[in-house]
Amino acid sequence: MKRYGEHRIPGRLFIVEGIDGSGKSTQLTLLHQWLKAEGYGVVFSEWNSSPVVKDTTKRGKKKQLLTPATFSLIHATDFADRTERNIIPLLKAGAVVLCDRYIYTAFARDVSRGMDREWIRELYAFAMKPTIAFYYRVPLETAMKRISDARAGFKFYEAGMDLGLSADPDESFRLFQGRILEEYEKMVPEFGLTVIDATLPIETQQQQMRQMVLSKLTQARQLRVAP
Amino acid sequence: MKENYGVSLPGLGRDDLVGKLIVIEGTDGVGRSTQITLLKEWLEQQGHAVLDTGLSRSGLVGKGIKRAKEGHTLGRITLSLFYATDFADRLENEIVPALRAGFVVLTDRYIYSLMARAMVRGLEPAWVRNIHRYALKPDAVFYLRIDVDELIPRAVFTRGFDYWESGMDLYSAEDMFDSFRKYQSALLEQFDQLAEEFHFEVIDARDEPRVIFERLRQGIERVLIGTTQPKPAAAPAAEKERSADAGEPAVIVMDEPTPVAEERREKA
Repeated sequence: MKRYGEHRIPGRLFIVEGIDGSGKSTQLTLLHQWLKAEGYGVVFSEWNSSPVVKDTTKRGKKKQLLTPATFSLIHATDFADRTERNIIPLLKAGAVVLCDRYIYTAFARDVSRGMDREWIRELYAFAMKPTIAFYYRVPLETAMKRISDARAGFKFYEAGMDLGLSADPDESFRLFQGRILEEYEKMVPEFGLTVIDATLPIETQQQQMRQMVLSKLTQARQLRVAP
Repeated sequence: MKENYGVSLPGLGRDDLVGKLIVIEGTDGVGRSTQITLLKEWLEQQGHAVLDTGLSRSGLVGKGIKRAKEGHTLGRITLSLFYATDFADRLENEIVPALRAGFVVLTDRYIYSLMARAMVRGLEPAWVRNIHRYALKPDAVFYLRIDVDELIPRAVFTRGFDYWESGMDLYSAEDMFDSFRKYQSALLEQFDQLAEEFHFEVIDARDEPRVIFERLRQGIERVLIGTTQPKPAAAPAAEKERSADAGEPAVIVMDEPTPVAEERREKA
């Protein structure tokens, strides 16, 4: 089993992190479009999307069967399936892989749910280290406003309602996402996350992102082109 | 107070777990379920409430694992984590509540089987141990041990060779017999090491079922000494008595073998 940082492979892995409403998915979609247009062989992998595991996760969330431990482990299972089946083989084949959320999401959420900080890092030790991990930094109020403008109400686990922080979903979301923000900030130096100011105009953020990605792509010799 | 292997889960209090956690470990086809049926009946006759549980039986992921295994599509890390999720779900939703209510929990396999399978598949021992560090240390682990040569006829004349029990995901070029032999031998090697590390009581599974049952019964009786009735109210006192008596508690520790465990093994 190769550990985080030990893999030497030709592909490139770019991931985005940030709280809900930080705009990271929008940025990743724009990057994806651009890379496709540039002719790169690019593959997109979403958090929580393993065909083997996602039904279990969905059921667990819907019926609220998940505790902090099983929430953590079922997400790790999903991530392991995507890593073993997609991310590693694709990177070995020289693809550009994009991930919307990565292990840092698990670290931030699970520690906020009371799981052991060291334990969770070791649990994900099999993960590939990203070429660049972008962190979209946004104030909590801005993120909450964006979410409430876009849809009605927060989801149960997204608001950390399982923790009983508050009976009010808005208040619970604020408290839980506040904890998550703190965890992200600690991880910026720990994992060398690349911080993007997510309050800047979308176009400006995208420009910064493309510039950094491009510098990593030009160094790569064996990247695939799209068929 | 039950201990864990160094990682606590949020919201999982361990102070009031007055029941007993008894693990029956052993490789496939060694007779674990036969013994558990007998033990449950016997314990209930003695007035103990019993919960029997085993791997992949959790309400959350049990079905998901079965479905995934039918497709033979799981990677080794994914498989280990899927089992770990199942285990955590059963620990929190079955085992802990039963222990709190003063039950004797008989579990058909525990984290040790999960560790053995993962390590046979080449996963790093340190990583594999870490995944299971929140598990409760059992009051006793009985390991039904058998050699692969004795195991083969049991597989041939009962269920035949199963895909996963033959480790076909590992040795796919071979036929099921060769694969079964290799895989089960590798598992036994892992189990033997775990037996040392976690101080299993080793029971020779070549013996007649009633002889094995007798050994298990004696072992469990030692664990239950001081437990009169499975009433939560009576148990804290019993706990004290137990820890005061240095010769008896089968405490499973993760590091050095204790003289107590050594002595117990010799007895077994």
